Amino acid sequence: MSTLKPTVTKKRINKGNILSHAFVWVFILFTLFPIYIVIESSFNNGGALSTNSLIPSGWSWINFKTLFHDPSVPFMRWMFNSIVLASANAIISVFIGGAAAFAFSRMKFRGRKTGLQALLLVQVFPSFLAIAAIYVMMDSVYSVFPKLGIGSMGGLLLIYLGGSMGVNIWLLRGYINTIPMELDEAARIDGASTSQVYWLIFFPLAAPVLAVTALLAFIGTFNEFILASLFLTNVDQRTVAVGLESFIGAALGQNWGPFAAGSLLASIPLVILFLSLQRFIIGGLTQGATKG
Amino acid sequence: MKRLSWFTGIHALIAKIIVMALLDALMVSMFFTAYHKKSTPIELAIGIIFLLLNYVYFSKRTMPMKFLTPGIILMVLFILVPVVYTVAMSFFNFQTGNLGTKQGAITSILQDGLTPDSNNTQYDMTIGSLDGKTTVLLTNPATKISYVGNAQTSTVLAPGTFTVAKNGDAVGYPQFTPYTADQFANLGDQISALKVPIPGENGFAEPQTENSAALFTEEYSYDSQKDQLTNTQTGQVYTNNGNGNFALSTDKAKLLYPGWKSYNGFSNYLHLFDDAAVRGPFIGVFIWTICFSFITVLMMFAVGLMLAIILDRKIGLKRFYRSILILPYAIPSLMSILVWKGMFQTQFGAINGLFGTHIDFLDSTWMARGVVLIVNLWLGFPYFYLISSGALQSVPAELSEAASIDGASPFQILRQIKLPLVLQILSPLLIASFAFNFNNFNLIYLLTGGGPANVLAGKTAGATDILITYTYKTAFNGTTSNFGLASAISMVIFFIIGGLSLWSIRRANVLDNNS
Repeated sequence: MSTLKPTVTKKRINKGNILSHAFVWVFILFTLFPIYIVIESSFNNGGALSTNSLIPSGWSWINFKTLFHDPSVPFMRWMFNSIVLASANAIISVFIGGAAAFAFSRMKFRGRKTGLQALLLVQVFPSFLAIAAIYVMMDSVYSVFPKLGIGSMGGLLLIYLGGSMGVNIWLLRGYINTIPMELDEAARIDGASTSQVYWLIFFPLAAPVLAVTALLAFIGTFNEFILASLFLTNVDQRTVAVGLESFIGAALGQNWGPFAAGSLLASIPLVILFLSLQRFIIGGLTQGATKG
Repeated sequence: MKRLSWFTGIHALIAKIIVMALLDALMVSMFFTAYHKKSTPIELAIGIIFLLLNYVYFSKRTMPMKFLTPGIILMVLFILVPVVYTVAMSFFNFQTGNLGTKQGAITSILQDGLTPDSNNTQYDMTIGSLDGKTTVLLTNPATKISYVGNAQTSTVLAPGTFTVAKNGDAVGYPQFTPYTADQFANLGDQISALKVPIPGENGFAEPQTENSAALFTEEYSYDSQKDQLTNTQTGQVYTNNGNGNFALSTDKAKLLYPGWKSYNGFSNYLHLFDDAAVRGPFIGVFIWTICFSFITVLMMFAVGLMLAIILDRKIGLKRFYRSILILPYAIPSLMSILVWKGMFQTQFGAINGLFGTHIDFLDSTWMARGVVLIVNLWLGFPYFYLISSGALQSVPAELSEAASIDGASPFQILRQIKLPLVLQILSPLLIASFAFNFNNFNLIYLLTGGGPANVLAGKTAGATDILITYTYKTAFNGTTSNFGLASAISMVIFFIIGGLSLWSIRRANVLDNNS
């Protein structure tokens, strides 16, 4: 096709090419700048954040040692809490949400349409808008069941599960609709009951989409701050998000190095998970987009 | 099919019965705990869930419900109930000073107004029971007058009708049995709440120790018939203002604290528009919220689309560029926000360090707003890049080929064919992103804390506060929490976001039906 084009346009394209590359590079540098700063600060031996030159002045493991040995910064404990909460939320969400999405996608029942419309409304509503109500409610639950109210990870997990259930069912239903029906119909003709179709045919088939939904739920929980900070007041109960926030909030200059090391450690597993599953996640994103 | 047949009939049934039995046992024990603590809403919730689960999983006609019930229970408990509660709270005067019940507020006001009488009158006391009522025998050591009394009434004892100890104290009375030490210990709460009226005194004798009481005067007395409090010293009358407080009858602005949680109609909503102290910050925050969401989506979309257009062409290092540009999307956003906050710090921040400056970025209104937009651009442009390039690729190649045969330049093809299509495809996601950023709590709260705010002037709303962070501050402001007002603001946000989302979904459906 390029042979058809007059030379004048070609020159303009070349000029445009340089500009394009420049534009892309500006954003490459913009993207990398904070990432570079975090890596550099993690291994820098001075505690302070000041980097008058971008060249590191010397490197050490001291920041990581602080994270692992300083009892006032129970970083491993925070990571553990975050991972437990996020995994529990991801797994339970997928099981409960998957079942409901299966019913909406594959079964015919009275009130299905109304149910879907209600679901649509619910998944639009950001549950933290009701945060004052959730707080007052869980405060009264605390007075009856201390292990499920304010200050407990169990109560927080329940709120996460309930709060994201609408979105999860909606998301899963969209995915499940794309799985061909032939297989479960065939099993049904062979005499399988509905629950057998669900557990033995459908569940393995839907595994990839369930995994993506689980990952999104995992990331969502990992990133959640507002409820976790309101609920988990005890230092040892904090999630890594709340823990690092309070750590850097206390004394930024002094704690910057260990904080950078901590956020690096907390981010790496998620970045790896994300990049290895990016094909599915981005597929879902653009599918949602092109469906319009 | 072997695996299938294993899980049929008896095995599945046994598994189901075991699981349900465990769940039922748990729920029954929780129900009794709630019953014991007298918490009716929780009892009710557990009872309903118990009946529902057992019906759904043991009836044969409830197949879809078997799949839906756990999700529905969670959504009802943790979305529907809080939302309904938010709606209810928005109609209540529910804030610091108005948190409890009316009875609690009256008790508290009476208690707070209780002062030892001016003479510091003390009584020697013997406590016991008479006719099944806790009764005290009191003797004023100064005047040697003795009384017998209980919570309702007391009388002066005529000499000779009671047993006297060596020091002149009344220690015995017909039918009166002194408490043993054990009884005294067991009745502790009841005894410390005992108030015995003393004839001829404007006050009550209250037990202080096992064998002494002191005279207290009440600043206020409550008249349950008229539902009003009277100041016993000044005679001022405080009436129920119907809004959760007792107010001075001659000056309604003078309230007695604490008040109680009370229904006050649309007051919270009206405050947003007619109370200058609330309206000022609310309107300011509202405008900034809309500007912020609009500008930030526009910026992210412009950059993402530009990158997508550039990288849509065959350009060197395309895969390398792409894999770097999506990094901000892969990194947990919370970590990124905190890192950026550190980088913009005045003394140690990397940005000031790089340029050798000491700029207080987060302390100036416009710079803080700029920082918020820049950081959100970093967080959000990869998403827009991804969806834009997906949309660009979905534009059929025939369209651009046909246009190019007709003599359109690549730029014309882009502007007149691709962009309108891309915009149409992406508009629901742009609206969704607007809604998301409208409530982008983490960004604002963690980066600037809503500030800079003129805290000294008593302002809670800062320059970068958006509605959701302002709501949070209103509800959990430590010293003065206003749950009622916060709920009203939540409802305003809900109507904006809900309306916007419904509108967008309707539009998308229309598009679907046409195509």
